[in-house]
Amino acid sequence: MPDLDVVGKHVASVGSRDIVTGRAKYTPDLSFPGMLVGRLLYTANPHARITKLDVSKARSFPGVLSVLTYQDIPGENSFNLIETDQPILVEDIARFQGDVLAAVAAEDEDAAQAALDAIEVEYEPLPGIFDPVEAMKPGAPKLWPDRDNIYDRLLLEYGDVDAGFQEADLIIENTYATQLIEHAFLEQEGAVALVDDNGVVVVYAGCQAPFQDRQQIARSLAVPENMVRVIVPYIGGAFGGKWEIHVQIYAALLAQAAGRPVRLIRTREESILTHVKRHPVTIRYRTGAKKDGVLTAIQVEAIGDTGPYVNAGALVMDVVATHSFGPYVVPNAHLVAYTVLTNNPIAGAMRGFGMLQAHLACERQMDELAKALGIDPLEIRLRNGLDAGREIPTGVSILNEGSMKACLKEASQLSGWEKRGQEECQPAHHLRRGWGVGTILNGFGMGRNAPDSAGIQVDMALDGSVIVRTGAVDFGQGLHTILAQLTAESLGIPLSSVKIVRPDTDMTSDAGATIAARQSFVSGNAVLRAVEPIRRSLLETAEELTGIPREMLSLREGVLFAEGERLSFTTRDLATKAWEKNRQLCSMGYYGMEYPDGIFSESSYANAGGYFTFSTEIAKVLVDIETGEVIVEELVIVTDAGKVLNPRGAQGQIEGGALMGCGCALMEELIVDQGRTLNTSLASYLIPTSSDVPMMKIKFLESPEPEGPYGARGMGETGIIHTPAAILNAVSDAIGVPLNTLPITAERVYKALQSNEKGLGE
Amino acid sequence: MGEIEIRSTINGKTKVLKTKPARTLLSMLHDDLKLTSVKEGCGQGDCGACIVIMDGLAVNSCLVFAGQADGKEIITLEGLAQNGDLHPLQQHFIEQWAFQCGYCTPGMLMSCYALLLHNPNPDIEEIREAIEGNLCRCTNYRGVIEAVLKAAADLNSISQIKERKNA
Amino acid sequence: MIIAGGTDLVAQMRAGIVHPGLLVDLKLLGLDEIEVDENIVSIGARVTHTAIIESKIIGERFPALVAACRRVGATPTRNRGTLGGNLANASPAADSALPLLIYDASVVLAGLGGERIIPLSEFFKNYRLTALRPGEIIKEIHLPIPTDKTEARFIKLGKRRAMVIAVVSVAIRLTVDESCKIQTARIALGSVAPIPLLVKAAEGILENQALTNEIIAIVAQEAGRGISPISDIRASAEYRRNMVLVLVRRALTEISQNLQGAE
Repeated sequence: MPDLDVVGKHVASVGSRDIVTGRAKYTPDLSFPGMLVGRLLYTANPHARITKLDVSKARSFPGVLSVLTYQDIPGENSFNLIETDQPILVEDIARFQGDVLAAVAAEDEDAAQAALDAIEVEYEPLPGIFDPVEAMKPGAPKLWPDRDNIYDRLLLEYGDVDAGFQEADLIIENTYATQLIEHAFLEQEGAVALVDDNGVVVVYAGCQAPFQDRQQIARSLAVPENMVRVIVPYIGGAFGGKWEIHVQIYAALLAQAAGRPVRLIRTREESILTHVKRHPVTIRYRTGAKKDGVLTAIQVEAIGDTGPYVNAGALVMDVVATHSFGPYVVPNAHLVAYTVLTNNPIAGAMRGFGMLQAHLACERQMDELAKALGIDPLEIRLRNGLDAGREIPTGVSILNEGSMKACLKEASQLSGWEKRGQEECQPAHHLRRGWGVGTILNGFGMGRNAPDSAGIQVDMALDGSVIVRTGAVDFGQGLHTILAQLTAESLGIPLSSVKIVRPDTDMTSDAGATIAARQSFVSGNAVLRAVEPIRRSLLETAEELTGIPREMLSLREGVLFAEGERLSFTTRDLATKAWEKNRQLCSMGYYGMEYPDGIFSESSYANAGGYFTFSTEIAKVLVDIETGEVIVEELVIVTDAGKVLNPRGAQGQIEGGALMGCGCALMEELIVDQGRTLNTSLASYLIPTSSDVPMMKIKFLESPEPEGPYGARGMGETGIIHTPAAILNAVSDAIGVPLNTLPITAERVYKALQSNEKGLGE
Repeated sequence: MGEIEIRSTINGKTKVLKTKPARTLLSMLHDDLKLTSVKEGCGQGDCGACIVIMDGLAVNSCLVFAGQADGKEIITLEGLAQNGDLHPLQQHFIEQWAFQCGYCTPGMLMSCYALLLHNPNPDIEEIREAIEGNLCRCTNYRGVIEAVLKAAADLNSISQIKERKNA
Repeated sequence: MIIAGGTDLVAQMRAGIVHPGLLVDLKLLGLDEIEVDENIVSIGARVTHTAIIESKIIGERFPALVAACRRVGATPTRNRGTLGGNLANASPAADSALPLLIYDASVVLAGLGGERIIPLSEFFKNYRLTALRPGEIIKEIHLPIPTDKTEARFIKLGKRRAMVIAVVSVAIRLTVDESCKIQTARIALGSVAPIPLLVKAAEGILENQALTNEIIAIVAQEAGRGISPISDIRASAEYRRNMVLVLVRRALTEISQNLQGAE
């Protein structure tokens, strides 16, 4: 590959100046003349029939301009991805604590609160279903009249699992459980809506899928989609929690009803109570292996509690199943994943999307297997590792050139794994040191049965500066910077000459949602296609002007080069001339993901992927055996994400994901009692602070992804996926007691030590 | 209760504001003065997104009521860059990718600036401690720490040059 | 309602625990100085945790108080949160309460009727209930400067390393004579009873003793007897009970090492 000027280099992120000066505007920072405050009334009871809903007093309160109930929705009173089963405003039954009964718009906070307080509600409590296992039993009370509590059962069979277990020298079975997790993005969900002079309902919202949001808003307002406009300002984090529409429809309804702009921002408490969470998943995992550690069969049963509305539930459980075998050669598999409905908080997309839960189980099993067989945990993984050309149980063949084992070996090297026996495993009488590894199969992209494409527009001005209009949301992962880099590199102009226009459904094309670590790949490829006609125009013009054949010409640094020699023509000269010659300087690019055929496509949710990023994480921990506290000393992560387009951005993604993973492993859990979340603030739901951060060594291997832009892969979810697995393996190693439930708080570690009969003694 | 009048210095300028006493400093700065860098992330002092500098100390502006801000000298992120030039902290935040989504960044910069006002030569542990009250969900704080170390070094060499000039 | 730093009040207002119709800010009263008068250090109620941490006299004479204040919230919380506010809020987990108890603090309470001074150990009545009468505020906290050789430790166990309410906390002070026999022992526990608690029975065991491993083990056991921890979202009662043992033992062991090291 020729030398690159911008791609793969250390560059500043495109919005950085706005961010560090405070100029960047996020949804709560927007204000318009006459703007009202919007608030929502949530159900006080997680499962109840609403027998009375009287908003008359609220409506007559001074300063209150609009109070809406289910009777005030012009279009469909339902929303959600996949199945529109969630009511916007509850008509009869509230099914979880986040169901909304009414929406108000008022002159200020006090009036809005007074309106909420004046709404009279009466509830007839209904028996709640709070345990997914109970919900699955035949005869359990049904949450929905026309739906089973088991919303989906995904079955994937590969090979002959009975024969596989017959062959095994050793069979081990364990149950693993993960917890309900809060995204805790720093900016709560919010939207600002207004009706513009053309009658278009404009909604500003920090969201991940502006075009899907537009569709849902239009559906509820009963207007054509092109009469709704969704604009995405700077957005304060998302991590999947803003993929599903949140308050946009309410803001739009209120703005339309009140005839004035409305700003509706959830309080932090409301946010924790109501938006989608990470699925808590229980996985029963049975593994058969020969005595040399080579796997013969796996049997997995996963149960995910998705709350009462489907949301992304079945998709997540699909991903649990289709990643439960990890980055290993598994000849025989029987995988079942249940998506179960309850009255618990709704669960949906969150970074990792089922891969975190799946790998916790898979990687703990590998360690338990290694222990039982007396094989080194890294060695057993190498013996089973996926090489290029091998098939995984979804029927897809791995195309990555041997990068699973390369990651493992490099991580081993970097962490000093071989020498770990020489390290003090008992550095003090109350401390134990442990090492653990998590190595993953990280699918990216939407998968075979979901829409996965992006459009993008590129315009060059006559002075050579460029505007890129993208509908793909950048919520901090650096996507817009990458798109600017790709554009600048292809057109041979400085990065500073590229301006990114942020997602706006009137101005930018649909790029699909920013999820599944897909955008660098899909929008990246789209922009590479978009720049081609412009490049051609410039080079054709250059050929005309210089007489030099265009194969010998190149564009770099805003200047024309002929075989390394700088010529006197600038991009400005070429663009101006190209324009005079009616050559195209504006273009659109489109890219649709193509997935390989797999055997697994029966279920409509079968998300058999085809694109994988391999990564290995090694965790080194210290455990205080008297208190159970865990200190993560170091994380070593080696990821093969193909060409690293933006080194700082990529490093940040892994580091941030890994820290989120530490939180998930050690301190994060939503505590829910009878469908009500008890810890609803950032004081009681704990995420890592600056003093909770381990040393991290991050390294990238760059085996090329043939279809990826410059050979890049998606890696936004990689960091978090293996962290809980690696940490749990390390702690289990340190104390000699298996730990299979997240999070491993100090108290849980302590209890495990106590109940371990052998104990460690003094 | 009716409105009260408060008089404070905000980013070097005296401001007189009339407001209900139950308003918070966060709300006054963000909504009345349109200093939108001051962000709400939790409203009760758990996240640090709203941190401003009041009389030289980093404080959660969501915990300061209007009357308590009377007579105080307040600095927000908008007041950090001088004459359009970025402060070394801002430059190094960009250089070190000390942020991703940027929502925690104004509060983070204020905590770091407050630290350097009192401790021009902090070590890694002191920086870590200074930003414990700034939650960041995107990064692992490493970029922030490196940015502060580098900015401190820059500021120290600038002040050394100034001292030499004056000497 | 009284407001000082507001670091506890706002959260309680949001949670609907309190609905103050009127907030009275104490700032016009001053009460923000640390003064030394003969052998008493007098800390104004509005002195912030940051001011305590930066105070030379407190650092020299009452290091466990500095250690505790360092663990209150985070920097911005400490810049606003006051010692008086922390005490008046009367959480059983109040970090600063423990070292103040072990250093034999008294509180000066002032109201329209005048002033009175009571030992801090009599200030906490029950869960979030103090000896403050209607119309009274905490004016000052008085700490007698230890005259003999004193070692103290503060240990806080939390679910993360900063900005956290204690799961269990412990503060211990030992004052010894020339032969390292214990003259005075104070042991205070947090988050294991409705109030921050001095465990007198355990203290009694230490008096006139030399600090040995056996004594330490007995004291730790005894300390666990006077407590009534609850299970809540942070931890179970049983874990708290066990951690009292661990932390008391640890604090005493560390003090013992300091005393030996100093010889």
